[in-house]
Amino acid sequence: MDSEATDFFAATFSIEEEDHTLANSLRFFLNKNPHVSFCGYSMPHPSEELVNLRVQTTGQITAMQAVKAACEDMQQVCDHMRSTLSKAVAEFQQQEQSREQKRG
Amino acid sequence: MVFELKNTDVSSANALRRVMIAEVPTIAIDLVEMENNTTVLNDEFLAHRLGLLPLVSTEAVAWKRPFEWSNDADMIETAFSLDVTCTVDGVMDVTSNDLVPLNPEHGVFPVNYQNPDEKPIVICKMRRGQQLKLVARARKGIGKDHAKFIPVATAVFQYKPRIVLSHSAMAEMTDEEKQIFVHSDPSKTFKFNPITRMIEVENEEAYMYDEECLVKARELGRPDLVTITQLQDHFIFRVEGTGVLRVADIVRQPLAATSVAAAAVEAPPSQN
Repeated sequence: MDSEATDFFAATFSIEEEDHTLANSLRFFLNKNPHVSFCGYSMPHPSEELVNLRVQTTGQITAMQAVKAACEDMQQVCDHMRSTLSKAVAEFQQQEQSREQKRG
Repeated sequence: MVFELKNTDVSSANALRRVMIAEVPTIAIDLVEMENNTTVLNDEFLAHRLGLLPLVSTEAVAWKRPFEWSNDADMIETAFSLDVTCTVDGVMDVTSNDLVPLNPEHGVFPVNYQNPDEKPIVICKMRRGQQLKLVARARKGIGKDHAKFIPVATAVFQYKPRIVLSHSAMAEMTDEEKQIFVHSDPSKTFKFNPITRMIEVENEEAYMYDEECLVKARELGRPDLVTITQLQDHFIFRVEGTGVLRVADIVRQPLAATSVAAAAVEAPPSQN
């Protein structure tokens, strides 16, 4: 990627080896960004693992920055989900143990 | 495992579900070397059935997939041998308990291996004189490659319903009508409280979005009795494992994998 391309306010990113799993989530996080005026993704062909992600911003940030921010948000959400899940599983197991002790 | 996911949207929930099914690595038999097969099932049929056997895959995280092999220290496969001859009159079952791990220290066994409380999985049936001798090699893979690597029986999610009952409509109904309404819902979401003589919501999560109760309410002439909407940011996940991995691990791994994938998408642009 050349350095000029990173200054655009509208860009289409072609992401290889990804499918709806990542693309739909990225699209959602991009839409949450108030500086993004349009965001959508498409798969040119289902047999080919390629996703085209189109981002258009209001001009206050570049398309590249918007995508980066969305990726970071996604990572934070995933990490938060992981810690919440671990806590919840640990609490549940503790409850089960105390219930078994009361029975036994 | 049943859990609730709150304050996120449907694309994150769907991403979690998709990764749980297709991208959590497990171990399954991938290569079968037949030595002798005089059973009624042919070689490839048996190889297919062996591949679908669930193997305990807690070691899958430490293993590498065959194309990732780089040096002798990498674990990519373990082997099982199966050597059964039928010597009794009548039908004999060849089951998952007959698979003998050639490297038991690797910690990979069929699910419920030699478990006296559970029935083993039948691979084939033989009569007197038939023999089956083979070596099966198990490798690491993901659901995207082949369905035998899928670690869950099902992974589904639904929107959490918000059920609002109208007390004014209930006041005009007879007890009999209320009971008919409660019984019309096959998932037992409602119950009739005989003390207050009102319909109450017993279990919101059980509601399956079949509209039986709404149809019944309309039939009884009270279309405003119950309003059911879907909470757009609150999901109920039901994940059923096959014994291959602990369900908590099946749910935890996708979260790590999605985080890594998002980081990977972000990284290349900065490597200008």
